[in-house]
Amino acid sequence: MGSIKDRVAIIGMGCTKFGENWDKSAQDMMVEAAYEAYNDAGIEPKDIEAAWVGTVNSGEVGNFLAVPLRLQYIPVTRVENRCATGTDTVRNACYAVAAGIYDIVLALGVEKLKDTGFGGLGQAYTYLNPVLSPRGAAVPMFAQVATRYFHRYGIDPMEGKKIIGQISVKSHHNGSLNPKAHFQREVTLEQVLNAPIMGWPLGLFDCCPVTDGAAAAILTTPEIAKRLKPKGDYLLVKALQIAAGPGDHQRKDDYDMIHWEETVRAAKRAYEEAGIKDPFKDLSMVELHDCFSITELVTYEDLGLCPRGKAREYVEAGTFTLEGQLPVQPDGGLKSFGHPLGASGIRMIYEIYLQNQGRAGKRQLKNPGLGLTHNLGGAEGGFIMSVAIFGPPGS
Amino acid sequence: MAQYIKPLPQITAETREFWEGCKRHELLIQRCKDCGVYRHYPRLMCPKCGSWNVEWVKVGGRGKVYTWTVAVQPFHPGFFEDVPYAVVIVELEEGVRMVSNIVDCAPEEIYIGMPVEVVFDDVTEEVTLPRFRTA
Repeated sequence: MGSIKDRVAIIGMGCTKFGENWDKSAQDMMVEAAYEAYNDAGIEPKDIEAAWVGTVNSGEVGNFLAVPLRLQYIPVTRVENRCATGTDTVRNACYAVAAGIYDIVLALGVEKLKDTGFGGLGQAYTYLNPVLSPRGAAVPMFAQVATRYFHRYGIDPMEGKKIIGQISVKSHHNGSLNPKAHFQREVTLEQVLNAPIMGWPLGLFDCCPVTDGAAAAILTTPEIAKRLKPKGDYLLVKALQIAAGPGDHQRKDDYDMIHWEETVRAAKRAYEEAGIKDPFKDLSMVELHDCFSITELVTYEDLGLCPRGKAREYVEAGTFTLEGQLPVQPDGGLKSFGHPLGASGIRMIYEIYLQNQGRAGKRQLKNPGLGLTHNLGGAEGGFIMSVAIFGPPGS
Repeated sequence: MAQYIKPLPQITAETREFWEGCKRHELLIQRCKDCGVYRHYPRLMCPKCGSWNVEWVKVGGRGKVYTWTVAVQPFHPGFFEDVPYAVVIVELEEGVRMVSNIVDCAPEEIYIGMPVEVVFDDVTEEVTLPRFRTA
């Protein structure tokens, strides 16, 4: 099996303000994200040789992107892979560059949800396990993982609610420093604990919103990147992994409900691909898929950022805050930056890109470097998980 | 019987035996006739050995709470008067897991490992739902 490490560079990125963008269509947001990326890369639209567009609900085929951007008869492919859509869009574009077929390509993710009647995550996917995720409803599925996790590690349910509540406080703080975030206000632990319950123990502030937004990346070869961006203000792709669950939880009744195997498998392959021995030490930041606070807690362990059962200690020590040893969701995460499904994976890369160029404003990290992005899509019995790693030249 | 406005199970060829059993107040679970493994939800093929050879076994209906959550927001009008109510996954003695409710205790009294046994709720003339009570 080959490796994508250091074979593709990201030379330009764009991202709209995420939020309830009532005054913008999906097409408006695609144009905005794409032109920010073109300008950032210093290229013209005519330089794009092929494009990929990721969306879960907002569009159908390649023309969904070709028409608003007036891309001139080039190949454009629509990608859909649940909440891993944005990352898989970049992945497809990267492989085309690494294959030597194209010099410069565009990967763009977009979602327009707020005025479509979309009520929330979780629909009647047909491949799911009806016991673990009846009709794919997201809140109870993750709530039951939280309850089981607390039980497994001897944590009283009220104590457990406080632990995951601290994760939301952290992400809201980071989002308050981000002018493109959906939510830019801090919350206190007391507010989190007293918020309306969605499915116990998950309250309103344990859940990410659904959001409008678009994000884009221009990809090319490292050789062209050096020529176009001599100051080195680009990112190299270090690893791109997807794991699609084969439905083991439909075949067996021994699933422990305290981990997600797809993340574990994708992370292991990503670390091998990027040559990472100890992710906690080697990574400088992580953008993981915090659709719910409990998802972030479990994913710390699935990604190997802390030992099994120890996430509580790391949260209480502030390890994953902006000032901590390994900042997680420096941009506010799904919790505060918001979750326009097809755009989220690319939004995560955008933060690693900005941080490495010293462009992250009030949330700028002192020593940025390798960053990891993670997406979790689907539901029990058939998750799609992505783990990708990016770093500046020389990393 | 008052009008029942909550969603009802869609009974299919694969699940008909299960729901017919519930109507008779019997909990029927599929067991592979070749390898003996129980399975739930109902399926045509054994998830362990791939056999299509299956029998329906009347089980005792005893088990333990494996995990739980509490539904607080009534996303369907049929549940307005029920919230808050617990949604539980019960692990039966036979090793299979089912989604259900606990009928005889408050949500805050439910805990993982709590012993429970099945009771049958005749919600319409055609449909009976298996629920659980403390045992």
